[in-house]
Amino acid sequence: MERWGDETNAEGGTRNAEQQGKIERRGGLQRTDPVMMFRVPTSAFRVLAALWRINVAEELQYRANFVASLLGTLFWIVTALLTLAVFFRHTTRLGDWDYWEVVVLLGVFNTLTGVIEAVLRPGIGRLAGEVKNGGLDLVLAKPVDAQAFVSFRRLDVWRLTDVLLGLGLAGYALYRLGRVPSAVQLAAFGLALAAAVVVVYALWVALMSLAFWFVSVENLSVLFDAIYEGARYPVSAYPAALRFVFVYLIPIAWTTTIPASALTGRLEPGFALVAAAVAGVAFALSRLLWRTALKRYSGASG
Amino acid sequence: MSRVAGWLRRYGALLRAAWLQDLQYRASIVLWLLWGVTEPAVALGIWWAIAADGPVDGYARADFARYFFALMLVNQLTIAWDSWYLDSWIREGELNFRLARPIHPAHEAVAENIAYKARTAGMILVVWLIVAAAWPAVRLPFGAGRWALTAVAVLFAAALRFFISFATGLLAFWTTRATAIMELHAGISLFLSGRLAPLALLPPAVAQVAGFFWFPYMLAFPVDLLTGAVHGWAVVQGFAGQIVWLGVWIAAYRVAWTRGLRRYGAVGG
Repeated sequence: MERWGDETNAEGGTRNAEQQGKIERRGGLQRTDPVMMFRVPTSAFRVLAALWRINVAEELQYRANFVASLLGTLFWIVTALLTLAVFFRHTTRLGDWDYWEVVVLLGVFNTLTGVIEAVLRPGIGRLAGEVKNGGLDLVLAKPVDAQAFVSFRRLDVWRLTDVLLGLGLAGYALYRLGRVPSAVQLAAFGLALAAAVVVVYALWVALMSLAFWFVSVENLSVLFDAIYEGARYPVSAYPAALRFVFVYLIPIAWTTTIPASALTGRLEPGFALVAAAVAGVAFALSRLLWRTALKRYSGASG
Repeated sequence: MSRVAGWLRRYGALLRAAWLQDLQYRASIVLWLLWGVTEPAVALGIWWAIAADGPVDGYARADFARYFFALMLVNQLTIAWDSWYLDSWIREGELNFRLARPIHPAHEAVAENIAYKARTAGMILVVWLIVAAAWPAVRLPFGAGRWALTAVAVLFAAALRFFISFATGLLAFWTTRATAIMELHAGISLFLSGRLAPLALLPPAVAQVAGFFWFPYMLAFPVDLLTGAVHGWAVVQGFAGQIVWLGVWIAAYRVAWTRGLRRYGAVGG
């Protein structure tokens, strides 16, 4: 909480960043022949790069946060492994997955947690509060895509260590399974993991769009935590009705179960293409919902 | 007598204020409720799958269903968010105007707890009754004496968790990581208080260690009392444990409060 509290800093930083971007851009224009066609995308990436540069510089001031975040993640991993140990005291398979296969899944879960905590929660997670107090006005007034800006404006670099620790955990579990994934399987895993990131992002956008209808709710991100809790175990472990929900309605099956399955060779590598298609659909739907929701916004103050 | 009447009047006002404040944010209460319910629901789902081939150490599917439904209710009745509130009160100076009032800030926290719990536990009870109508597994055998004992145990557990949360929150007088300490406590209590599994299903050594701490008395004991898993002498032991640990945590809270206030120097509010 304390790190997202300094909105004023971030806002100030944002304005500076834009100015910086503009100045650099002008210099660039003088040097080379301007290619107007690429102007919009390059400026978007420039804004993003400038924002993240400032965030990284800001975070580097608080190095103790790195240790705290690392300890927090290690504690979470130990807790998750002990939880599994309790379950596996009484069974040898969970939804037909054995212990180390579920640990691979936990590694994927932790990787995605890193993305969520580093980018999504500090960025789009703040949206509900801004819809309530009118802070979104400042975002909408900027000459960039509002959804992209809201989503990627912040980067808590320290939490990216979760991504590394998660991948490390998945790798160790694979080693314990005694399975060496082929190049095709690794590629399928990469694609499925990218699709998982997109699905998680789409879920955040969809949930946060609810803020435009339920204006008084500031802690909408709690809803994501509640749903995402279900992604800690393979979907095959759940009763059939719940499995249907997790695959088709709230697609969290695609966030952890599918990438982990691709890595352990449970699924045909070609299935990663299906995952990519699902991610595309989820992204398009969430974008549609965002557009619809934004029409309801009427500003509150400044 | 007039002192009692005075306190009743004060609590009446505090409760009304807390109730109306919550009423503004109905949707967010539903959100927190959902958040509180998913963890036991997921745990139930997993145990349900594990128990597919027959009872696990004496726990059949129906026993797991009863256990986790009781857990949802008792957890909602005893949960305390006070360490998070206190952390922000102390760091951001919101404690100042509360100290200026002629009433201890803890009373406001108690009133808020009562209002929040009455509302969310009421919702869980309604959901439970609806589910029980369709699904016999989660029905509890009726027993007036047992339910009365459970009510007392829940009250003790709520007080225990309140003082744990309040005293831990007071650590914000000394450190900026009071909430991290509370998260650590929550992580340990996941196992030792029975949130993940009935204590009987943990490795015996772990369950034994849990018995030396306050964790089982926060949650597992009232839940087992409600579902009828403890009998006779164990009930007396459970209540004794609750009372002893409640005393310890009240003492911890008093020490932290008096020492902490002496150090306190935040501005703002």
